Amino acid sequence: MKNTLLVVTAMVLVSIVSVGGSLVLADDFPSQNINYVIPFGPGGESDITARHQQAFFKKMYGHDMIISYKPGGGGAVGWAQLNKMKGDGYNIMGINLPHIILQPAEKDVGFTTEDITGVYMFHYTPDAIVVAKDSEFKTLEDLVAYAKENPAKVTFSGSGKGTSNHLAQLRFDKMAGIKTTYVAFKGTGAAVAALLGNQVAAEWGYTSVGASQAESVRMLAVAMDKRHPKFPDVPTFKELGYDLVSGAFRGIAVPKSTPEEIRVKVSDIIGKINADPEFRALLENDGMALLDVDYKGYPAFIAEQSKVMLEAAREANIIK
Amino acid sequence: MPGIEHLLAALTPINILLALSGVVAGTVIGSLPGLTATMAVAVLVPITFSMDPTAALIMMGAIYTGAIYGGAYSAILLNTPGTPSAIATTFDGFPMARKGQGDLAITLACIASVTGGLVGATFLLMLAPPLAEIALAFGPVEYFWLAMFGLTLISALSEGNILRGLIGACFGLLLASIGIAEISADVRFTFGSQVLLGGIETVTALIGLYCIPVLIDLVATPDRHLKVTHKPRGFRFLEALGLAWKTKFSLLRSSVVGTIVGILPGAGGSIAGLVAYSEARRTSKNRDNFGKGEPEGVLATESANNATVGGGFIPTLVLGIPGTPPDAVILGALLVQGIRTGPSLFTEKASIVFTFIYGLYLATCLMLPVGLVIGRYAYQTIVTVPKALLVPTVAFMTLIGTYAIRNSISDMMIMVVLGVIGWTLNRFGFSPSPIVLGLILGRIAEQGFVQAWTIGAATGELWKMFFGRPISLVILAFILLSVFYPLIRSRFRKTTGEAGNVE
Amino acid sequence: MSNNQPNELQRDTATIVISSLFIILAVGSLWDTTHMLDPDSYVFPRAIAIAMIVFSIALIVRHLIKPRKIPEPAQADVSTLRRVSLVAVMLASCLAMPWLGFLIPGIATFLLLMWIAMWDEWTATRLIVYPLVAVAIVLGFYTLFGNILQVPLPLGTLFE
Repeated sequence: MKNTLLVVTAMVLVSIVSVGGSLVLADDFPSQNINYVIPFGPGGESDITARHQQAFFKKMYGHDMIISYKPGGGGAVGWAQLNKMKGDGYNIMGINLPHIILQPAEKDVGFTTEDITGVYMFHYTPDAIVVAKDSEFKTLEDLVAYAKENPAKVTFSGSGKGTSNHLAQLRFDKMAGIKTTYVAFKGTGAAVAALLGNQVAAEWGYTSVGASQAESVRMLAVAMDKRHPKFPDVPTFKELGYDLVSGAFRGIAVPKSTPEEIRVKVSDIIGKINADPEFRALLENDGMALLDVDYKGYPAFIAEQSKVMLEAAREANIIK
Repeated sequence: MPGIEHLLAALTPINILLALSGVVAGTVIGSLPGLTATMAVAVLVPITFSMDPTAALIMMGAIYTGAIYGGAYSAILLNTPGTPSAIATTFDGFPMARKGQGDLAITLACIASVTGGLVGATFLLMLAPPLAEIALAFGPVEYFWLAMFGLTLISALSEGNILRGLIGACFGLLLASIGIAEISADVRFTFGSQVLLGGIETVTALIGLYCIPVLIDLVATPDRHLKVTHKPRGFRFLEALGLAWKTKFSLLRSSVVGTIVGILPGAGGSIAGLVAYSEARRTSKNRDNFGKGEPEGVLATESANNATVGGGFIPTLVLGIPGTPPDAVILGALLVQGIRTGPSLFTEKASIVFTFIYGLYLATCLMLPVGLVIGRYAYQTIVTVPKALLVPTVAFMTLIGTYAIRNSISDMMIMVVLGVIGWTLNRFGFSPSPIVLGLILGRIAEQGFVQAWTIGAATGELWKMFFGRPISLVILAFILLSVFYPLIRSRFRKTTGEAGNVE
Repeated sequence: MSNNQPNELQRDTATIVISSLFIILAVGSLWDTTHMLDPDSYVFPRAIAIAMIVFSIALIVRHLIKPRKIPEPAQADVSTLRRVSLVAVMLASCLAMPWLGFLIPGIATFLLLMWIAMWDEWTATRLIVYPLVAVAIVLGFYTLFGNILQVPLPLGTLFE
């Protein structure tokens, strides 16, 4: 008991020193608004999830989450500056996988995967092959068969390069023994517009596309372990014989200078929002899959994902 | 008119109040360089959670409309577009202000913005679902040609100086590719610098290239910033209205251009203004006066950029694909409110949609009195404030405004450095506008080109991709018209015996 | 102050110098693209850089063959010193902000620029009123951005 008290006192002292003067008491955290930086522009999946979290945070804690956008370099601009922000728990930033793993592995982008102190991974959007409702491809087999006969002729739109979409395309091509063409667009919105406008034959998108564009698209397969609860009719790649489970994972990080105790608090807050049944229903309805990796579980999670994603990227020749 | 029964729902006192305060706040925010409509709307989102969805939408729409108009103030009075949408407003607005016609320019901008806003809202009300198809019909190649069309303005902006204009545009295009590439994710032209990884932010560059040179020249001489030729003459509303009436077709065409460009998710207000300006100039009787303080130039851009507000909502509401960044924020707020966009929105949630559209009309109409009053005040302030206060205020505004875009101190330094480069180049005949055109259109042109090339090469129809699509051909025709029309015209003049003004 | 009104010859030299700088820049860019592996990344910038070299050479050639004069508005009473000071103060302010936060360099910049931009006499009233106005404007903007628009303005590492 005494020891615990000592540790706590020490921690509090350390936290006071490390944030320098501005007294942060973990007990009443959060006692003010939290700045939530999205390293992308508005309208993407990260933004929309943040907006949902914002509403629930307000309801639960009475303070605001102030969302600001810091787009640039596919998120790298924001992450490169994460550790320069004040580490008091009131500054948090969205993080995305595979971005924070692949970007630093490819080149010097101003941060490394280890620089990022993730405190919670809250959901992921599984990759999926999406086609327009009137497409001739009714099943995944149709598409694979066509692609076999017409190498490189099937065009896929997707969000950016070195992203989950891109990686999935490269991996699937290899698994199915086909060659398709990946056309990178700026964000999911632009990739979907290209699909709906028949500029491309299909899209490597996310399950969230299937949800938001339910009236105009069809998903051929989703890269999940099990079928998505919202789309019970859409098979997984696994069922169809391709061992592809992938997607874009999203979470929250804090600056490195954030004291241990506050990190846990932030993790708890996000976890509590994530546990809210209403919140879960909302996100699942948007086509996302929830995930609960807290601060404690983050290092192991990132290590495992790094292994998988780096290997996939290496095989796909994205990185050396 | 569809959904007319919802007009009354929009006209509740509380909605009128919200629209009014939204327009005022938006106008002020838009007039400050660096503060964008996106930011203003984003800050507001949490407040709207506890509001009725329609009231929230009306307020966000009003802020957005106001901000796009407010951008004209600094464009006219300080040669600095307050929002990127107002870039082309500087071309004639600032020369007008220098000649002492700043008050007239602001009133013109107000009338044009209201007209454009109303036209945009009308298209949104009447034809949203079919028009949304335009957003989809525009593929990579069309964006590429649209950017090229924008670049043809260089010849207009650098008459007798085309080589310099082209070099400037190339410089801008290279500046645009600095940093981590948006789609290929490669690091380009950073030469090892961390600071440049995020690239040159467009608004940062606008403030630097346009505003810093003005400041540098302001401190150098004791002359007044703007010439004062007359005693304050009120709003000069009737005079402005008369000018607008004289160019009513150009005004309407610019509004339609603005609406259509607004529908395109990859374009936006700046391009709408540039395209409308280019077309207005080509067809105008006063074309030689463009760039020297031609009222029609201000009318064209300001009507076009405000028309993008209504236009941008078309794909946002019908397809769930945001037309502009502020639309993206509003879309997010809608999703949180539990409203799912899509073709059925107009039938299933008709009351929300139509109340919102009428709210947009309301906000646009309120912009007339609000805009005139704030505009007059802004003009009086800029004209009367002593130089020793004007310069530091504007300088401080550029610094804090640039910082606010991405919360970045390096961006402020980039802004000042670009300003010095812009000033130096301008002294030797390289005007900043082609550089800005290159910067803004560069990303769109590059993405469109690369995507079109990839698709074309994959399907084995490269030639058809670039030259075989109907919309592309139409844009291509306009490009050729813009480039060769001056030549044809001067030749025609010569043969008819008139004195042609060949360089 | 010989460079304030460049004569014809100087102007041509300047154009040639600037064009040459642009060529160097373009060549540098071309060199940089050789590190890129993805054609998506290099096709466009290479095309632009080559175009820039061509245009710049054309401009130089034109000026060598047929010097032109571009009229420059004559300006009396021009102070280069003030111009340089303005830029220097603004840059210094940016450099100071990571350490001193936004407010102090902000006010200092404002006051210095006020002094630089002052062409009238410093009367007693102005000496009192202007600095007060300066502080009011800076504080006003600071509140607008920092508190109302919630922009996280830098606080400065020195005060932490």
